[in-house]
Amino acid sequence: MVNLMKIIILGFGAVGQGVARVISMKKDYLKNKYELNPQIVAVCDRSGAAICETGLDEELLIQTKNDTGKVALYPDYGHPDIDSLQVLDEVEYDCLVEVTPTDIDDGEPARSHIMKSMEDGKDVVTSNKGPLALSFQDLADCARMNGVEFKFEASVGGAMPIINFAHETLAGCEIESIYGILNGTTNYILSRMANEGSSYEQTLKEAQEMGIAETNPYQDVEGIDAACKIVILANSVLNLPVTLKDVEVEGISKITSESIALAKKEGLLIKLIGEASPDALEVSPRLVRLGSPFAVEGTLNVATLKTDLADDVTVVGKGAGSVETASAILSDIVSIWKIRK
Amino acid sequence: MRFNLVLDVPDVPGQLLEVLEPMGRLGANIVAVIHQRDVKTERGTVPVQITIEGDKETLDKVMGALESKDIQILEVDGVLRKEQITTVLVGDIVEEDLQDTVSKLNQLKSVKVADLDLKMSDEPKNSATKMVIEADFGLRKEVLKNIKKLGAEKGFLVINEV
Repeated sequence: MVNLMKIIILGFGAVGQGVARVISMKKDYLKNKYELNPQIVAVCDRSGAAICETGLDEELLIQTKNDTGKVALYPDYGHPDIDSLQVLDEVEYDCLVEVTPTDIDDGEPARSHIMKSMEDGKDVVTSNKGPLALSFQDLADCARMNGVEFKFEASVGGAMPIINFAHETLAGCEIESIYGILNGTTNYILSRMANEGSSYEQTLKEAQEMGIAETNPYQDVEGIDAACKIVILANSVLNLPVTLKDVEVEGISKITSESIALAKKEGLLIKLIGEASPDALEVSPRLVRLGSPFAVEGTLNVATLKTDLADDVTVVGKGAGSVETASAILSDIVSIWKIRK
Repeated sequence: MRFNLVLDVPDVPGQLLEVLEPMGRLGANIVAVIHQRDVKTERGTVPVQITIEGDKETLDKVMGALESKDIQILEVDGVLRKEQITTVLVGDIVEEDLQDTVSKLNQLKSVKVADLDLKMSDEPKNSATKMVIEADFGLRKEVLKNIKKLGAEKGFLVINEV
């Protein structure tokens, strides 16, 4: 008996499309391995929604979005005049995948989406850092009170496993602190500066031209994105009830090629490191040894968990990318399924 | 009794002799010397392992003599005595008085600036300074905090080790 899991995806950018793609790619695998038949019953973006209670076609969703930019133009099942909260009210589903763009001022609209879903007794998977960084404890309490699963592996480090890794694989270990390179854009810029001896401004421009840095790179280069992830790790792994304003943040925009050259002479690299521990919540440029686990190049993310039993454990992975991030969301969907079936 | 020492010796001719001299003079018995010139610290110095034997009074005198010769004792019987902390400051250090920065660091308890490297930029505020600071073992956190504080006062970006 193959069981249905009805899914609503809110937000259909790179990550949302990645989720549709991995669900389409992994249909047989999920059926055979987990007896799981995930069905996307609704997708919303700014244009409205596509809704079909017997399941939308994943490839057609992606194609419609790519061709027209609007899921509301999905053939026969498009609804241009409906907003996301209405969809959550009217469509029958089991699990919400919240992947709207991150907002770090008020966490909206993701926060309302997640809260509503949980209050309605639905499980939630998200990659959205905004609501987690601003009101983690409220969301966790809400999930607990409503007896629903709330998972967010994809919010930190994209495909790099860390949250579930800490909770499940390292179960039994007390995790004392976490250090990591949690932002791919800044790691790319700093790696290029170290390799080429180029200036910050020049390298940022190059990264923007390559699509690695955004047109408005503020959240990445000033460390805000990494700080959000530190808050999520501090809450979920270290049980510290903190929010974004508790993090001391210094970005990379003041890093000069001179400082990188001096560090290099000493066998050191400069990396933007996030630290979460009971004594410090910090994102700042730090010196790391060449050859150490932190000396990763390009857009890779890395994190070291300091534990009481296993000593240091380090994970490395791709911090961004549509299918890569969706892989983390799929793993959350599967773990919810294992609980629910 | 015996002491197993690790000393930090500059890689220049005559240094090993310089280190051994007080041991012989004061009557300590040298049990072993391990001196591998191709194993170096990041600063290019050579860590030399020496085991000496003698009564407590003699060995204490030797330690005193080494210290007065400014020979760095890194380890005694496997216990670290000193640790090195590297930091990079970004900012106009010349304008913000290099000497004052160093002396403020030296004023911190059991802290000494051991090495300093400057890279000036056309744009003074982009200039960088690397410092290697030696501190008694266990003071790392406190020293890093103090460097940060000093950096903030003088408007430098402080890049500390992880």
